[in-house]
Amino acid sequence: MKSTSETTSDKTMLKDAVAIAKKGTHCGMCRIDFLGTGLCPSGKKHSYLAYWPQGRMELVKHLSEGRIKPTEKLREIANSCTLCGICDRQCNFTTQLRPEKVARAIKDYVNHLDQSEFQSVPEDDILRGLREIVGDEWATNDPNIIVSYTRSIIPPDVELQYYIVMPESTAQVSNIIKFANKHNIPYMARSGGTTCSVTASYVLIKAFSLDHGIVIDLLRLKKLEIHPESSTAVVGAGVTTFELQKAAYSHKLRVLAAEAGAHYCSNIATTGIISTWGNTYGGFADNFVDATQVDEKGVITKHSDTGILNPYSTETGFANVTMTPSKIITEAVVKLHPVFDDEVAVFVPFTHLKDALNMVVKLGKRDVGLSLAVLSAKYLAEFLSPTIELSKDFEYICKNYLKLNWVVSVIGTKDDQKIVEDMAEYTMDQPLMKSLILGAPRFSALKDSEFLRILSEEDDPLKALFAGPMRKHLEKSLDPSPEQIAKVYDTDLQGFFKKIYSKPEMTDVVWLHAFRILPTRMLRQRMFSGPGGSIWTGDMNHILKWIQMFSDVGDKYQLEHSLGFITPLDHGNFVYMEYDYFFDHNDPEHGHKVGKTFIETMEQSYVMGKVITLLDYLFKGTYRKEHVLYPLPEGISKEEQVMFKELLESTLGGEETW
Amino acid sequence: MVKFLSEEWITYGKQFMLEKIDPVKDLKNLTTSLLCVIENVPPKGTTMNLYLEFQQGKLTDLIVNTSDTFTEKEAVFVITGLYGTYKDIIKGNMSLSMALLKNRLKLKGSKLEALRLIKPIDVVIDSLRKITDEFEG
Repeated sequence: MKSTSETTSDKTMLKDAVAIAKKGTHCGMCRIDFLGTGLCPSGKKHSYLAYWPQGRMELVKHLSEGRIKPTEKLREIANSCTLCGICDRQCNFTTQLRPEKVARAIKDYVNHLDQSEFQSVPEDDILRGLREIVGDEWATNDPNIIVSYTRSIIPPDVELQYYIVMPESTAQVSNIIKFANKHNIPYMARSGGTTCSVTASYVLIKAFSLDHGIVIDLLRLKKLEIHPESSTAVVGAGVTTFELQKAAYSHKLRVLAAEAGAHYCSNIATTGIISTWGNTYGGFADNFVDATQVDEKGVITKHSDTGILNPYSTETGFANVTMTPSKIITEAVVKLHPVFDDEVAVFVPFTHLKDALNMVVKLGKRDVGLSLAVLSAKYLAEFLSPTIELSKDFEYICKNYLKLNWVVSVIGTKDDQKIVEDMAEYTMDQPLMKSLILGAPRFSALKDSEFLRILSEEDDPLKALFAGPMRKHLEKSLDPSPEQIAKVYDTDLQGFFKKIYSKPEMTDVVWLHAFRILPTRMLRQRMFSGPGGSIWTGDMNHILKWIQMFSDVGDKYQLEHSLGFITPLDHGNFVYMEYDYFFDHNDPEHGHKVGKTFIETMEQSYVMGKVITLLDYLFKGTYRKEHVLYPLPEGISKEEQVMFKELLESTLGGEETW
Repeated sequence: MVKFLSEEWITYGKQFMLEKIDPVKDLKNLTTSLLCVIENVPPKGTTMNLYLEFQQGKLTDLIVNTSDTFTEKEAVFVITGLYGTYKDIIKGNMSLSMALLKNRLKLKGSKLEALRLIKPIDVVIDSLRKITDEFEG
């Protein structure tokens, strides 16, 4: 790692870059053009993860640790960065990081290397075979490229015995699998990599990653066709939700949206799409009409083929848990839904979870609204606040002065709005939400103010604020404007963010809900794990008891935790709940705790019954939702609880490693 | 120490399991049968079958043959996978249950019943690991 001409400033540069890189959480937002900046030119051209800001972060860590030696590819990776600044703008919006410093550090590092320090990587028979399938450019065994996949499919701290291959068609995927089987080499497909990156610090990484073999990076399967005449889209495995949504919106259509950077096909295969739009558009797999899949033998089938085995047949319960999709979905035909002219957002604030839950279930059962959710104050604060510091104050104010612990978020038509407003004593409408977005810095600055102190003394501060004369005082004091919010960013980025926040969509809650670019802000503080699942709504106390269990387990392991969101499914017969645990992914002790938390909450969920845990439908996304949700599971017996633990011990190691 | 699936391996395997595994303590009086279908065995890519039968925790049958089908016995559980996967399991790089969870192995038979056998089968694999030091490919 050290060259003779290395200076103190070089070391500082690298140290700073590693510090930034360690905060990276592989959110993948640098691979979508969500701010209209265009994409990273290097990543767009070369596609391998190492050429994207996300991959460079992983690369610089391993270079600094001496885990890999420089190769000619490293020079190419360094030189391909034009220092255009797109990554800084994108990353700063979501996580406040400056990845361009990482790119600069890699350039600097490479510039100080002597030619003799670059190692060559010989081509072997396996690589030769893979290159015959995809072309020379799209298969590699170069450690400088391989290492960038660490934490998003490759576990940390393993030998880099991998090949990365980037097919561009279903036929190539099929041929790669046949080739891998012929040579007895394991393989795994990678899309956005976020599932693996979330688990990379704790025990589930053993199940979710590839220990050695061929990484099939699906990014190049970019087919995307919108068919307005049938309200469908044909989507390749390399297409993200954001890209699909953008294309659909240009036809006044909308897709059931998962996270912006998530690859749509992979989402179908992994869990089915989990989204706040699920009650109306249909949950999980109801949103695709056909899928092209490649099985473990390399055989290509379509969901619509006659004569295929029933893809919906499955055993239920924890015995049917699986940690890898059985097939790779390379293309899907996806349903699209109309965007109505009179769509609005309306939020109903609540102090008590039970009240918020009752409302969202009632709305769900009556099919009111297009997108429905209970959001915690933490989610609301994180989504609306441009920095983590502001979000903490925002949340503090919500909880301690306003008694605003929950909001029911409804996106719907004006008819839906009327129903919601009839049901609720007071609501937060779109203009107020816009004020809160643009005025978030001022709102957070109100912490400990006289205004809030007076407000908090009201019997119902929420009513006083949202239905009383205080509202206009609040809006005035927020001074909401793009100029105001831009001031919280680094000086050199303020002009850019002023323009960004001047765009109507950046304060349009309906658009933000549909494109889901704000939830990535959850990753700016630290990594989070979101276990949960679906639960039958027939017994409200059971739901509350279940949620309390997640809170108790979080307390037990002293992790920061919070309920994330609850959204109805299947016409309100179920709700899906995500509970979040926040942890430092660089701290092994935190990894240990979150591993235990995940396993304990899943175990307790099985014991409680009437819950379909995250484990139950993980990697069963191509099943219909009825198969996932029904029959309602009874709580498992003591004997089954022992078996569940034995299964985990056998797969993930003993309890001491969780 | 012998080569995986060789004649010597069968002989040593039987002997080792009969001598070293306690039917009650280690195998909990296990009564079942298991057919491991091992695909793509190097160098020719053939399919081999490994059949194991236990009665009250004692190994009563161990058959290895090379054929695309196995008709000698009917097993309660059939586990199918690549030679490379079995190699990883025998070498201790991956547990049997992890290979099943990751779809590296396919199980025919009740998964719930199979879970009851995890611990005893792990003992069997552990004993096979102790006698195996050579693999094809």
